[in-house]
Amino acid sequence: METTIDSLLLGFSVALQPSVLIYAFIGCLVGTLVGVLPGVGPLAGISILLPITFGLNPTQAVIMLAGIYYGSQYGGSTTSILMRIPGEASSVMTCIDGYAMARKGRAGAALCIAAVGSFIAGTFALIVLTVVAPPLATFAVRFGPPEYTALLVLGLIFLSYMSSTSLLRTLLMAVTGLMLGMIGIDTMTGHFRYAFDIPELGDGLSIVPVAVGLFGLGEILSTPSKNIVADVIRVKLRDLLPTRKEWREASMPIARGSVLGFLVGIIPGSAHVISSFLSYALERRVAKNKDEFGKGAVAGVAGPESANNSASTGAFVPMLALGLPTGPVTAVLIGALAIHGVAAGPQLVNEHPDIFWGFVASMYVGNLMLLLLNLPLVGLFVSVLRIPYAYLYPLIIMFCIVGVYAVNNSIVDVWIMLIMGVVGYGLRKLSLDPAPLVLGLVIAPIFEMSMRQSLVMSNGDYLIFLQRPVSLILICISAGLLALSAYSFFFGRKDWRSNMADAEAGETK
Amino acid sequence: MIRTDHVSGALFVLGGLLVFAMSGDLPFGSLSFPGAGFIPMIIASLLILIGGLLAVGGGTSEPFRDVDWSDLPHAAMVTAITAGAIAFYDSLGFLLVMPVMMFALLVIIERKSLIVAGVYSVSISLMTWWLFSALRAPMPSGPFGF
Repeated sequence: METTIDSLLLGFSVALQPSVLIYAFIGCLVGTLVGVLPGVGPLAGISILLPITFGLNPTQAVIMLAGIYYGSQYGGSTTSILMRIPGEASSVMTCIDGYAMARKGRAGAALCIAAVGSFIAGTFALIVLTVVAPPLATFAVRFGPPEYTALLVLGLIFLSYMSSTSLLRTLLMAVTGLMLGMIGIDTMTGHFRYAFDIPELGDGLSIVPVAVGLFGLGEILSTPSKNIVADVIRVKLRDLLPTRKEWREASMPIARGSVLGFLVGIIPGSAHVISSFLSYALERRVAKNKDEFGKGAVAGVAGPESANNSASTGAFVPMLALGLPTGPVTAVLIGALAIHGVAAGPQLVNEHPDIFWGFVASMYVGNLMLLLLNLPLVGLFVSVLRIPYAYLYPLIIMFCIVGVYAVNNSIVDVWIMLIMGVVGYGLRKLSLDPAPLVLGLVIAPIFEMSMRQSLVMSNGDYLIFLQRPVSLILICISAGLLALSAYSFFFGRKDWRSNMADAEAGETK
Repeated sequence: MIRTDHVSGALFVLGGLLVFAMSGDLPFGSLSFPGAGFIPMIIASLLILIGGLLAVGGGTSEPFRDVDWSDLPHAAMVTAITAGAIAFYDSLGFLLVMPVMMFALLVIIERKSLIVAGVYSVSISLMTWWLFSALRAPMPSGPFGF
């Protein structure tokens, strides 16, 4: 514990340097804007702004990019409460009761509860991350290729199982991502694979053009400007404070959302989205007066908003300790660290303690910044919403092109972004979520390398995955999850997704 | 009736078969020393398997004819204008291409007035050029050096 406190103090000595603080602030500010603006998610925001970090050191870069991620969770609630439009996917549930509170004249109170809940949940998750991540990283140092293969398989299956769409669709997208990750030179034999004689593809598909295309451009292609109508409820600064009764009603949902969000956050999948759905369902189940839900229940705002912030922090545990992305955003962050020459994973704590602990400490500071930023500046953020979308999206397309080009100085990357934008549009039409594809793309090289190394180690014996205790446990969990899904698929039984969809349909009636 | 899962499942089965067709020259290797085609072929098999399962079990998904394609003209025009900009981005440079792209998006798709679109496109492009230059992010220079 003493070592943890010493390390955290080292982190604060890094995070509180003015040159680092300013980038944490910029990240939080941009993240809030990204969360506020409908159609620009944290993934597109981080990917587009990645080139801006090239002139920074790795600590400043990752602190700024992470600030965009958790800042977007704060900002997403603003549009949900004031416009009934989720600025970010994880704010969908806040729309229901947040907007209902706003219609009753309690918009300020809803915004304040969302911000304070987010702060408490984010800080709680950070404390757990501080305690849990370093020992987990120490344990993971002992992992060999078979353990990593099993862990990646479990990650993909968990992702598919926890996804809010069907298991088959998610698995299909993840496998497609793995396939795209095979493009380029095979590092073990030097063979050029699926590159169509394009030298730029030798290093494989970079994550940035794929992510920006699927989530930035793809979103723009499927959002005609006439469909975006800015009808914003006005909120006055003096109305921001909730009443004592509202605080009381918010306290337990914030506590429950914090714990639930963290637990869901460390599991692969769109954790911050799922956690807010689960929190809403939980709050409705434990509420004394269920009829209030949908009509402005404080718990319907406090629970989901706390849960999504806690989950976004929880997602950093596997990223920092194991080097494994639990979602597309952490996947891009791992890619960003790699661009700066730093590998996320168990070695990060030992080899780059300044980055690891500076990053952790900066999140404490960032959470406080966001609380101070979101409440007084809510009017400013709302005014951003009044910029017509017709003027906004050409600007976003320009940022997409500039950002993607800047990563490798490559026009091929920009063409890949455009192709991925069209693919993203098509996937949305077929109800396929592109997020697992990005995750598959990121883990493809690690998966291939560890799988082939394992087979070389065992002289071609597949049983190596069952002979080592850690990989055996992980493979058994994977098999169990697949068996559960197969059971509901073949016997037509409702799984947790169907139950959640039914619950959600009940809420919104 | 054809449903979305039938279409997507069939597309991914075709994709998997295409990977197999393109993997002819990649050595599969052996289990004790897997070659460059080993993992791609496993993944292509998974694509075919999962795509097939999706197509077979897709009876409850949305009918394909009910998919809303009303945004297709918008998407096609944005794609075409963006593709045009990308085609000239490397050779003509940021400051020539970006204002024209934004202007085209605003005038052709959004039907904004020429003056408003012109002022907005040029000023925003200049500000972005300044911002990214200050941040030392690389941008292509055209024949005139900007």
